[in-house]
Amino acid sequence: MKKRLDLPLLTTLGALSFFVFVPMLSAFEYSIRTPLEGGYGLTHYKWAVDNEDFFHYILRSGWLSALTVLITLIILVPTVTWLHLSDSKLRPLIDALSLLPLVIPVVAFAVGAQISFPEFVQNTVLELPFLYFVLALPYAYRALDIGLNSISLKTITEAARSTGASWVRTIISVIIPVIRGAVMATVALTFALSIGEYTLTVLLHWDTFPTWVTYVAQENILGAIAISMMSLVIPFVLLTSITLLTPDRSAQRRK
Amino acid sequence: MTSKDLTLTNVSRRFGTVTALDNFNLHVGVGELVALLGPSGCGKTTALRIIAGLESLDSGKVAVGEKDISKVPAHKRNMGMVFQAYSLFPNLTVEENVAFGLQMRKVAKHSRLKRSQELLELVGLPSHAKRFTHQLSGGQQQRVALARALAFSPEILLLDEPLSALDAQVRVNLREEIRRLQISLGTTTVFVTHDQEEAMSISDRVGVMSNGVLEQIDTPDVLYNAPATAFVANFVGVMNRIPANLADGKVNIFGKNLVASKKGSETGKIVALLRPETILVKKSENQGNAKVLTRSFLGASSAIICQTHEGTIVQSLMASLNTGEFQPGTSVDLEVTVNEVMVANG
Repeated sequence: MKKRLDLPLLTTLGALSFFVFVPMLSAFEYSIRTPLEGGYGLTHYKWAVDNEDFFHYILRSGWLSALTVLITLIILVPTVTWLHLSDSKLRPLIDALSLLPLVIPVVAFAVGAQISFPEFVQNTVLELPFLYFVLALPYAYRALDIGLNSISLKTITEAARSTGASWVRTIISVIIPVIRGAVMATVALTFALSIGEYTLTVLLHWDTFPTWVTYVAQENILGAIAISMMSLVIPFVLLTSITLLTPDRSAQRRK
Repeated sequence: MTSKDLTLTNVSRRFGTVTALDNFNLHVGVGELVALLGPSGCGKTTALRIIAGLESLDSGKVAVGEKDISKVPAHKRNMGMVFQAYSLFPNLTVEENVAFGLQMRKVAKHSRLKRSQELLELVGLPSHAKRFTHQLSGGQQQRVALARALAFSPEILLLDEPLSALDAQVRVNLREEIRRLQISLGTTTVFVTHDQEEAMSISDRVGVMSNGVLEQIDTPDVLYNAPATAFVANFVGVMNRIPANLADGKVNIFGKNLVASKKGSETGKIVALLRPETILVKKSENQGNAKVLTRSFLGASSAIICQTHEGTIVQSLMASLNTGEFQPGTSVDLEVTVNEVMVANG
């Protein structure tokens, strides 16, 4: 069947890719310039990789983000599942509360954390994943909410329970695989948001990959752009490979 | 055979101001199939969910064998359940669905897949093991759900209107198959349905429920021929309600004096409850006592619906052989073929 070209759709996509890809391509072009020798080269990429701080900070941001993802899944999947199953009157309230991180300025949030958190919490970088979790909450909550809305959660849960699955097994062996798409979206959103978080991290005086990049930019702007390009590509490759490597049975389903 | 008997003692459950179950008692013997039948909202599904552990009870006791399981969580009850809605796990293949209960019980993979194949053969789907659930028809999905519920040899099998979502022909086939399997495996079974034909055709006993109370529980024959209450009489099968007067324990219907079997303190103006097959229609030479409204040919028998001169609608069920002459408008004489009649308050 020959599909007709959808002009409005193409226009939108075209405009969108203009805003997304043109700056990226320009940044890339800029990052491979070699002003001293003229022409193009990978000098700045080499400079970045040779910098021992590069791996230190990218690893640190990586595990902090991975921890955030873990916290998000452990807290949110059972909570949102429970909200759906219990028909709780609290659900609209919690729906609204989950949006709060979008309206509270990060500055206020950071100051609040500094005033209210006990010292031993403020003294460890482990405070960041919990705060990132709050920042990612509006997106993660909605992704899971939509996923759970799209299945007959109650019947599937009761079927699993009556077949012998405990609550934990029901969530791990049945619910998460069934809403795999929504879980992957939650992982991707939370990871991307955490690994790129700058404002909160700086205000709380921690150093992560994004704050280090800004610092580096002051001495070598082209190097900083090269690093940014890598930080854009590396998580993308990581997330794509996670998505591709997790067995996707929905592909078989469509056979 | 791992099946056990099931006993519910004085089980009550309230939802806000609504009483879903009121001092509910039920005993299901080993290997017996008991259907709970009743209109929607009568508490039959609540009873089943309490047995399964998916609903908590306010008071009373649920026991399997000698063991009180009232506080045991659903996943430790060892009961198989088939739901009204399609409940297969969409991320698993058919055989993985069937093996799920065994997987939860930590049975080794090859043994559980072997058992899964056995069960799929039992429900007639041996070649569907590798398919995904969305590739199956509704009837096939319910067969797989049945196989899943039976795979771990449950002590009790619970069926929550498993046939309601299916086409008429599939329903009839599948209910016979459920019965065949249930007998051959000897699994104690509770079957909830609002379809009386379904309940009557495959059950050892049927419990008729109304407003959270078990009105009567007995074999289908007794329920039909000797209903304990007016509710059961009206709910099970077709029942004519003919207004009459009760005097000296007798009721006069169509000129015949019948002995009234009273269930309560009925007196004076009452309604007589008569099955269609106890009413005989005869062609009348003159006015008769009724006129034919319609005749429905049902094959071996025909349903003839008449209206008496007093305005009461009466249905008769007769062998089709000589009913061709009862065209609409024909004057007829109605006769009662039994000598005893159940009465209820009018």
